[in-house]
Amino acid sequence: MTLTQILKMLVACILVITFILVSASAYRQHRTTSALAELTDATSTIATQLAVDELAYVDGAGNKYSYVLDPGKLENLTFEREIGGENFEFQISLCYESENRTFGLAPPENRTNCSLVVACSLWLNDRFQLAKLGVIAWHA
Amino acid sequence: MKDGGIADILAMAFMFVLLVLGAVLMYAYSLRPLQAATDRQLELKCEHIYKALETAWVEPYTVSFLRAAAENLVLEHPTVPGPYLRSAMENALDYLSPPDYEISAILTRDGRTLTFNENIGPPSKQFVRSGTISITRAGGENVVVQVVVRLFSFS
Repeated sequence: MTLTQILKMLVACILVITFILVSASAYRQHRTTSALAELTDATSTIATQLAVDELAYVDGAGNKYSYVLDPGKLENLTFEREIGGENFEFQISLCYESENRTFGLAPPENRTNCSLVVACSLWLNDRFQLAKLGVIAWHA
Repeated sequence: MKDGGIADILAMAFMFVLLVLGAVLMYAYSLRPLQAATDRQLELKCEHIYKALETAWVEPYTVSFLRAAAENLVLEHPTVPGPYLRSAMENALDYLSPPDYEISAILTRDGRTLTFNENIGPPSKQFVRSGTISITRAGGENVVVQVVVRLFSFS
């Protein structure tokens, strides 16, 4: 075998190894981003469930007002959800007027979390007030 | 150098170019699910902004921001005076807009338009939520006003 043939073989081997490494790295990155996308969607789902259903204000006649939050319902809220077969925990914050109230456990430092802040209304002091609902979610 | 040798080197160079292109495409494609999820969150934010403006009352009145704006477009004597509403609405849009984003609201009826927060530069992306508000005039006539709320991204 000549020196040229040895060099060609070496370059071919380097190409094959690089291809395998790049493929493995891209696959890992794809899995990471898919997991982040899943967490992002879970956070959106939790925020929607809270605003549309669980924290929605119900008046004396039994009419439910989606996207209007009732702060009285925060006392009985559980901060765990199962979404798509996976368990998530979350913390919420409610920002209105000059107040910023936080409910639920603080997010753990060693886990990836996703935060989302959405606009909403708040039924407070017999008025519909502008407010912001913040949700921070992570895998349980 | 022999012809066979040049052909081998060209083939290897071509494979190397293919490898680099393939790697770039794989990395670009792998970010798409995250970008799509982020866009879905922004759509959700836009929906919430619309609903918040539709339900929250203008202080100290008992009428919502969008209804007050629709009244200003249709009625001679709206509940909330025009200059006060403009100030309150722009404060509300400023309060509700996420960092690096701007919100505008446009109400239209019979060619007449009422725009809040109109001096916005060209955005990189925008999310739109539209709907209608029904106002009853003094004679009992129902008037429908078109509402479009836009969330502009500058990132």
